[in-house]
Amino acid sequence: MADNKTPDPSQQFQEWVSQWERSFDEFSNRLMGTEEFSKSMNQMQTMQMEFQRQFGELMARQLATFNMPSRDDVVALGEDIRNLDRRIAQIERALGTLLHNESDAITRKPGPARTRKPPGAGKDTAEDNKS
Amino acid sequence: MSEQAQMISQMRDLMDKTLQRSMKGFEYIRSSATQVGLTPKELIYHDGTLKLYHYYPVEDEVYRIPVMIVMATTNKGYLFGLRPGQSIVEYLLNNGFDVYMVDWDPPTMAEKNLALADYTHRFLPDCVNEVQKHSGIEDINILAYCMGGVLSLIYAATHQDGPLRNLVCLTTPINQHEMGLFHLWSSEMDVDTLVDAMGVIPAEFIASSFEMLRPAQKTAGRLRLWDQMWNDDFVKSYQAFNRWGDETLPLAGQYFKDSTNELMLGNKLFKGNLMVNGDKVNLKNVTVPIMAVMAEHDHIATYGATKPLLDLVGSEDKRELVLKGGHVSLIAGPNAARRMWPAVNEWLGERSV
Repeated sequence: MADNKTPDPSQQFQEWVSQWERSFDEFSNRLMGTEEFSKSMNQMQTMQMEFQRQFGELMARQLATFNMPSRDDVVALGEDIRNLDRRIAQIERALGTLLHNESDAITRKPGPARTRKPPGAGKDTAEDNKS
Repeated sequence: MSEQAQMISQMRDLMDKTLQRSMKGFEYIRSSATQVGLTPKELIYHDGTLKLYHYYPVEDEVYRIPVMIVMATTNKGYLFGLRPGQSIVEYLLNNGFDVYMVDWDPPTMAEKNLALADYTHRFLPDCVNEVQKHSGIEDINILAYCMGGVLSLIYAATHQDGPLRNLVCLTTPINQHEMGLFHLWSSEMDVDTLVDAMGVIPAEFIASSFEMLRPAQKTAGRLRLWDQMWNDDFVKSYQAFNRWGDETLPLAGQYFKDSTNELMLGNKLFKGNLMVNGDKVNLKNVTVPIMAVMAEHDHIATYGATKPLLDLVGSEDKRELVLKGGHVSLIAGPNAARRMWPAVNEWLGERSV
């Protein structure tokens, strides 16, 4: 039939993309799936980490010279703030319990009834069970 | 239709799409960040990297037992509520569930020492308590994704007297020696040096590991986007998925070390010799009704890695659902909407009264 003979360029393009993606991924995975690749990747990562560590130490020394806080100082400050935040949350919870959740009762609307029952059981399971 | 008439019609269609592609291409370039995760919710608890949300129920009558979604630690939870019509959260709310979500923020350097035990023996029990208090209901259901599933299984196996009533594990890797390249790369990785140097494992490191599994995916995605630029729905969906993929989260160093050494290399969850917080994690101790959903073409939590779950748990009430599709499309792809969401709705609904 004539309908089947005329190609759809968009569909052809989609198929080509899918095919290219599949073959490129397969090729790459074969390449990356070797122990040699994993070892080199790990070596590069270790070198990068070591460089980053040494650079960080150097920067911290420079910042100390200029009497400026280092990243570690800022992180420590952040930890203090977070601890304070956690303590405030604990106090809020304790207060809420003491007040019998009074504030909640005022602000929160009563929730929906928890009485829902499932609709007629086993209606659309047949297709799923084929999986 | 004659062959000639069909060719003319196709040419017209091609020109129309080319024109729309050009016009909408400009719109796409000019457009701001896609709005995602818009389902109305409130934050009811947070503890550093952890956030617990409650989605506002939309039905007047809901199931008795609330459901708590546990997101994977590597990504943001809005995958479950990507955009209207492409959201399992919206679907569950419309079908009468009371939905909570455990979501994650990027851990800060101050949280670099968070261990696997902090997630399974502090964060999850705390969230369960908060859901109990907020809902006023003792029992709870958990629906967990990927590593969220692993955390939930460890929680379930070590808190047997807890309030968990039903567990749904979506593409949860159990036999992690079956995780292909991830396993190979991990075996060559110097995890201790990496964690000591970085403290928190950067998001770029996690994202690039995912991308290396499918190196052509991004380029192919862009080519498909160009071809489908005339299709508004496709473009919106692409933008939402793309944004989600770009927002991969960093991981706390100690947690990364525990996951790599104990789960990936030691494969201890699968072997049954995992110790967390002094508790032995035996999946046979998971006895609640359980549903395992896995994707046939999952390149991250492979089918081989997810398959053994139901054989290892002690539950009598078990349900397996294997779907075509990949790791992400399982949650928010077209097949998810057609098959996964209704199946979860039905399975969980029957057990949530």
